[in-house]
Amino acid sequence: MAQPIRVLVAKPGLDGHDRGALVIAQGLRDEGFEVIYTGLRQTPLQIVATAIQEDVACIGLSSLSGAHMELFPEVVRLLRERQAEDILVIGGGVVPDEDRKALLEQGIAEVFTPGTKIQEVAEFIRSHVRFDSLGEDTEVGLTNKVDHVAIAVPRIADALPFYTQVLKLSVVHEEVIHDQQVKAVFVKAGDVHIELLEPTAESSPIAKFVQQKGGGLHHIAYEVKDAADALAAAEQAGFRLIDKKPRFGGRGKLIGFVHPKDTNGVLVEFCQLTTEEVHAP
Amino acid sequence: MGFDEAMNSWSERTDERVRKRPERKNEFYTHSGIPIRRVYTPQDGIKSQEEYLEKLGFPGDYPYTRGGQPTMYRGRLWTMRQYAGFGSAKETNKRFRYLLEQGQTGLSTAFDLPTQIGYDASHDFAKGEVGKVGVSISSLLDMETLLHEIPLDKVSTSMTINAPAAVLLAMYLVVAERQGVSWDEVSGTIQNDILKEYVARGTYIFPPKPSMRLITDIFQFCAENVPKWNTISISGYHIREAGSTAVQELAFTLSNAIAYVEAAIDAGLPVDSFAPRLSFFFNAHNNFFEEIAKFRAARRMWAKIMKERFGAVHPKSMQLRFHTQTAGSTLTAQQPDNNIVRVAVQALSAVLGGTQSLHTNSRDEALALPTEQSARIALRTQQILAYENGISETVDPMAGSYYVESLTDELERRAASYIDYIDELGGAVSAIEQGYMQKEIHRAAYETQRSIENRDEIVVGVNDFRIQDEVQPDLLKVDPRLSEEQKAQLNELRATRSQDQWQRSLDELREAAKGTKNVMPYILNAVRAYATTGEICDVLRDVFGEYTPPLY
Repeated sequence: MAQPIRVLVAKPGLDGHDRGALVIAQGLRDEGFEVIYTGLRQTPLQIVATAIQEDVACIGLSSLSGAHMELFPEVVRLLRERQAEDILVIGGGVVPDEDRKALLEQGIAEVFTPGTKIQEVAEFIRSHVRFDSLGEDTEVGLTNKVDHVAIAVPRIADALPFYTQVLKLSVVHEEVIHDQQVKAVFVKAGDVHIELLEPTAESSPIAKFVQQKGGGLHHIAYEVKDAADALAAAEQAGFRLIDKKPRFGGRGKLIGFVHPKDTNGVLVEFCQLTTEEVHAP
Repeated sequence: MGFDEAMNSWSERTDERVRKRPERKNEFYTHSGIPIRRVYTPQDGIKSQEEYLEKLGFPGDYPYTRGGQPTMYRGRLWTMRQYAGFGSAKETNKRFRYLLEQGQTGLSTAFDLPTQIGYDASHDFAKGEVGKVGVSISSLLDMETLLHEIPLDKVSTSMTINAPAAVLLAMYLVVAERQGVSWDEVSGTIQNDILKEYVARGTYIFPPKPSMRLITDIFQFCAENVPKWNTISISGYHIREAGSTAVQELAFTLSNAIAYVEAAIDAGLPVDSFAPRLSFFFNAHNNFFEEIAKFRAARRMWAKIMKERFGAVHPKSMQLRFHTQTAGSTLTAQQPDNNIVRVAVQALSAVLGGTQSLHTNSRDEALALPTEQSARIALRTQQILAYENGISETVDPMAGSYYVESLTDELERRAASYIDYIDELGGAVSAIEQGYMQKEIHRAAYETQRSIENRDEIVVGVNDFRIQDEVQPDLLKVDPRLSEEQKAQLNELRATRSQDQWQRSLDELREAAKGTKNVMPYILNAVRAYATTGEICDVLRDVFGEYTPPLY
């Protein structure tokens, strides 16, 4: 899952009726969105500035004063002017059907009138924000294969017998990865490899992990066609990266990590086969 | 068989039946969350003559539960006061005169948002808002047009204006002056309730302290010069529209009222000098019996507060008088004709609750401002209630209903406990500054939304009984050219008025605002010199500062 979609709920103009805006803001939060509320009496310019500054994916405009025809399209115009037209703009309030149609023509993605369910708004945003419209060229490019699952251990020698003697799995590759200060042993479980990682120095990232947690599941590596593209696509979708560019990891593969804070606490590795690869039998 | 025995026997037999054939729900509640029992009996109502005298009394007698006057609608029907205003002063004047011809008995003015927030139609912030939710009044000229050929000694006018209430009242009084009507003949109401703006409606200008001072200046000025004017209408309406429950509406409105009375007493006004001119404004919502009980509880609570807390002795200081409006937020954009029925039932609760004046909403208000036809149906709804059904022929017909009396007690108990808590927070102003009321209302609004989405509450045409492919009715459109016309008119005014007199009046107002003098006479002079709404409010903004709310 991505980091939550950020939505700016805004009250343009002088209208003070914010019940709908506040209920929607609360409802979208409960639906897992990250919601920022502008407060009352915002000009379209202020709304657009906040949206860009806060890097939101969607702006929800609310007005009950009848000023929507002048204020909503102005927000869309200003976004275009600032090349931020990828921000989805939706509206809500007392808006007659005829005005709704005119607003859609002017670039408002949808207008929700009283009686709308919060879930409808949430689903509309989820299916229309830029997140889902990345296009083919920005796909992560998975090969539909988990390359390996990595487990950090204090000592491989202590951990290995479980895999080899109880599970009867075979060791297929061993390696010391010097820049990571780690020793890796791969065992094969069906199509997937299990990578046991043992720190080789106290300053090793794996050493810290073992110290804090006593070891355990460290990361899951997905095989991708191109690690650089995969990282770029994840970043564009709003995920923070640990590696901006791919680097060489174990077995000569090109790898890059996505930050676990954005993936529910799981460190994710993209892993690309290269001609340098040390083939496991 | 004695009563208790009979009651127990009935309960047992009924429980037995319910086990075989369950009721529609396991538990029933009012909208405020008060549990509703299967049946109410004399045990829940007024149990003795002593209790009757203490809790109800007779109409026109303390604690006024049964009504402020001894004869109520047998003497005079409630005032039918339809809230109206849109576009230019000229258009609104036309609508006013239409409504008076149709039998309406008082005027009620809606101002557009720029006017309500003290900006002229020519201000940048007014873009897109001129004439939209009410009439645009930038200067005395507009007010003269608005009231053209309306006799101010005969018609009472309510003005929904808060932050700049002093300015609009001054304009009204100068028009009366020019019609040759003496100020002691002029009657009407300004809403002038700033606390609920911070809580629920958002059309504030100044911070709470100077806002309270403007209000007490008006109290004092009117007590001396405009004796028939209702100087404040303390509003629960907007608190309810923002999503509160009936209990919160009652509690927060009375808490705000307590804050106004305290401010006036602190400003040196004797309680009985201004209290008879305080009036209230409530919402008539969907839960029929709870609403009737709310109005009755409000009267009883206010009488006790004024007598016991503030030591008022004048009966008029203890009589809660109120205007009611049916609940705009309950109207649906879906199947708008259903709204006529909703409004009729809500209006009936207001009448059975003993309101002094009533606005009935129009069927198309969830879509736009009402058309002339919709406004007429809404007024006719009141006339049908007044003249056809015999509802108004006896005073407080709901009294003694076991259920209504029990609800009245329970609403009072729950609202009083809120008021105690707000007192502990340091009173209404402090509670508002801490965001307490705002958060409570927001929580209730969200719960309502959830229960509609879960279908715990059914809204006909919205989450049940829907129809496909609805055709929308014809809607009122405000001419978008209006803003330009207003700007042109303002430019002309600015070029032709006497600059010296205008400048001097604003300078004097500034000095008065900085000091402790009553600002009303200075605002009146500025209005006479054709200073605009925006210019007068700008002087006050300079001196008082502007309010920016914290976000919760």
